[in-house]
Amino acid sequence: MIKDFQERYAKRHELAREWKKEGKRIFGYFCGYAPEELIDAAGIIPVRILGSLDKVTLADSHLQSFICAFGRSCLDQGLKGTYDYLDGIVTSKTCDIMRNMPSIWSRNIEIPFVGYIGAPAKRTKAARECLIADFKVLQSKLEEFIGKSIDDDSINQSIETYNESRKLLKELYEIRGKDNSPLSGSDFYHVVRAGFVTPKKEYNKMLSSLKGELISSKSSRDGKVRFLVSGSTFEDVNILKMIEEVGGSIVADDLCIGSRYFWDLVEPASDPIRSLANRYQMRIACPCKHPSEERMERILEEVKKHRVEGVISIVQKYCDTHLFEYPYMRDVLQKNDIPFLYLETEDRLGEEGQFKTRVQAFIEMLR
Amino acid sequence: MSDKKPETKKRLKTSEKLGKLMADYYTESAMVKAQKKPVAWLSSVAPVEVCYTMDVFPIYPENYGTMCAARKLSAEFCAAAEAKGFSTDLCSYALNNLGSIYLNKGPFMGQGLPEPDLLIATEHACLSMAKWWEELSRHFNVPLYIVDAALPVGEDPSPHHINYFAEQLRELMGFVEEHTGNKFDMDKFKEVLGYSDEASRLFLEIGGLRKTVPSPISPIEIFTNMFPIVTLAGKKEAVEFYNELYAEISELAERKEAAVPNEKYRLLWDLFPIWYNLNLFKYIEEKGGVVVADVYATTFGGRVDISRPFEGLAERYVGNPLLSYGVQQKTELYKQMIKEYHVDGVIFHSNRSCRMASMGQYDVKQGIYEDLGIPGAIFESDFVDPRSYSDEQVKDTLDSFFEILESRG
Ligand code: SF4
Ligand code: SF4
Repeated sequence: MIKDFQERYAKRHELAREWKKEGKRIFGYFCGYAPEELIDAAGIIPVRILGSLDKVTLADSHLQSFICAFGRSCLDQGLKGTYDYLDGIVTSKTCDIMRNMPSIWSRNIEIPFVGYIGAPAKRTKAARECLIADFKVLQSKLEEFIGKSIDDDSINQSIETYNESRKLLKELYEIRGKDNSPLSGSDFYHVVRAGFVTPKKEYNKMLSSLKGELISSKSSRDGKVRFLVSGSTFEDVNILKMIEEVGGSIVADDLCIGSRYFWDLVEPASDPIRSLANRYQMRIACPCKHPSEERMERILEEVKKHRVEGVISIVQKYCDTHLFEYPYMRDVLQKNDIPFLYLETEDRLGEEGQFKTRVQAFIEMLR
Repeated sequence: MSDKKPETKKRLKTSEKLGKLMADYYTESAMVKAQKKPVAWLSSVAPVEVCYTMDVFPIYPENYGTMCAARKLSAEFCAAAEAKGFSTDLCSYALNNLGSIYLNKGPFMGQGLPEPDLLIATEHACLSMAKWWEELSRHFNVPLYIVDAALPVGEDPSPHHINYFAEQLRELMGFVEEHTGNKFDMDKFKEVLGYSDEASRLFLEIGGLRKTVPSPISPIEIFTNMFPIVTLAGKKEAVEFYNELYAEISELAERKEAAVPNEKYRLLWDLFPIWYNLNLFKYIEEKGGVVVADVYATTFGGRVDISRPFEGLAERYVGNPLLSYGVQQKTELYKQMIKEYHVDGVIFHSNRSCRMASMGQYDVKQGIYEDLGIPGAIFESDFVDPRSYSDEQVKDTLDSFFEILESRG
């Protein structure tokens, strides 16, 4: 079953090209702060642009080596034509890399639509009003692009579909955290990742049947050390696999490509744009947002709830916001007597060996 | 890297005055604690006008970073921050500042900066500032206000972006009132904005005088003369200073007196100087190159519509071209500057510390070359942390660049 999800992801470009042939429009977004529901309500399929493990070649003449591997890889794939099926890109101001990405992308890669959301970083009321206005601007740009208006009903329908996805993912997240759970952390990563490139209605069916299957199966976690993994985006699922192979078990996460993406549902408000803005503003904060205490609080809660024995942080080299919060996170965990291992990655398999020794040592220490 | 100090300082009569302004400011900063005056630490492009309106003494750790670098203290400070777990890849302004706090050391009387009572930052320039100030707030355990800028990079800001910024400026006044007991006064605010606007206007005009061939002011002079516009914007002293500086430079311009003899190639500079090696400009000058334009210095200018104080100030900050332009707009801005300042070539300092401003440099360089045939060179270094600086590599890049300029005649 997990294979289906893996395959979905592996075939994502092929499938997208097929949709394209069927006359569908496809938009790419970079970051979990892009309001996918709005794109979906416009009748456009949103897919998330993620890094790849292929060697970066073309982006070298556009981005310095001190830009995160994720940003470099995204642009590289764009330059290589991997995403030539996109009709538009949408992103939101999160980090300094994402803030610059759309203008560099659109200068070098033909793209009919660029949606960029100013996106406030705070959780205040004034910030909310600003985000609502941002979403309205995006909405009218989308309307202009598709040549018709996007009514509240279609946004509400999209919200429902997306919420359904989130609910299912949360259920699976809980299943993963159970003792004797048949769902591993690396499996779950595949599950979440497939969702970025699969139309959500179809994805929801996949999630439901996976849930059905998992309920009746069991596996053993005896003797394994229970971990929460935290961090930025990273492409190399083998890092998670390795953690599991050397005696760890991933029972909870605070990952950009993980629970941070799906955790919060859209709650109904006076109108759908407002509901969406509430959700995207108040979702579990990524380190790009301010303040940062809530993220730490949630990590502590998850640690407690899932009886986590250690936290492993996997952070992209050159990711300023995650790097800045590392000493803070270390101190918070230390104060709460939670063992912590920090791994910095450049999304290259080559580091695995070195990581492995460190993870092994960490597990030894915890046993 | 040569160790001699940049000498150009003495050329201008006004530099003595600048020295005095800086000395006064730092003397006051040393006494401010004893006087029980509230101290705020501000990030770059945070609204310093708020401090002067509310009678709060502003301190700029970034400005201080440039001085630590110039006095060769930054390597030690950055290392001290790294020892606490901050990655060496983070902005060295931040590492330098955090390190100097941990060591309680600095370039003035061996001491660090007076501790803050308040912290004010904007994440307008970069996210690092917000995260760095959060860390300061945890370290000193004092209240923090982040001025958030939602801004659509690559497009003009919408009214709601201006309103959001303005709304926060109002909130910020309340925040300062709450934590200092000092009361907001609209007349005082307008007076401060008036001075700030006037200083900006003058500073921009001084920059504009560099359009004269040969340039009447050198890049080192421009960078060192930024202190008042960064730190004293909103004070009468800044206006007085720039009035004098303007008078002096415009006289030089009229007489066509060159700041740098042998001005052969007029250059546009993007973006940060190397603070521990301002002498690089000397090297460029030996080759006949003179930096006559840059956005870094001019970006601290920007007018304020005083009739709508909060919105006016917000427009100035949100509209800052360095911060809100995408590569296409930046290319257009540079092309215009190239024409106005009669520029022959562009030098890009790819600053490892500052991903925000370094990202896109290759595209801007290419765009300028495609549209105008004006060549550019990019070299990499860190602007505050000298530990991995390679003078040889930088000079190699510049040498080949000058060969290109020469071959073009
Ligand atoms: S990995 Fe970090 S720096 Fe890179 S795009 Fe993501 S949040 Fe930004
Ligand atoms: S990263 Fe750039 S903009 Fe941010 S504090 Fe450092 S130098 Fe300033």
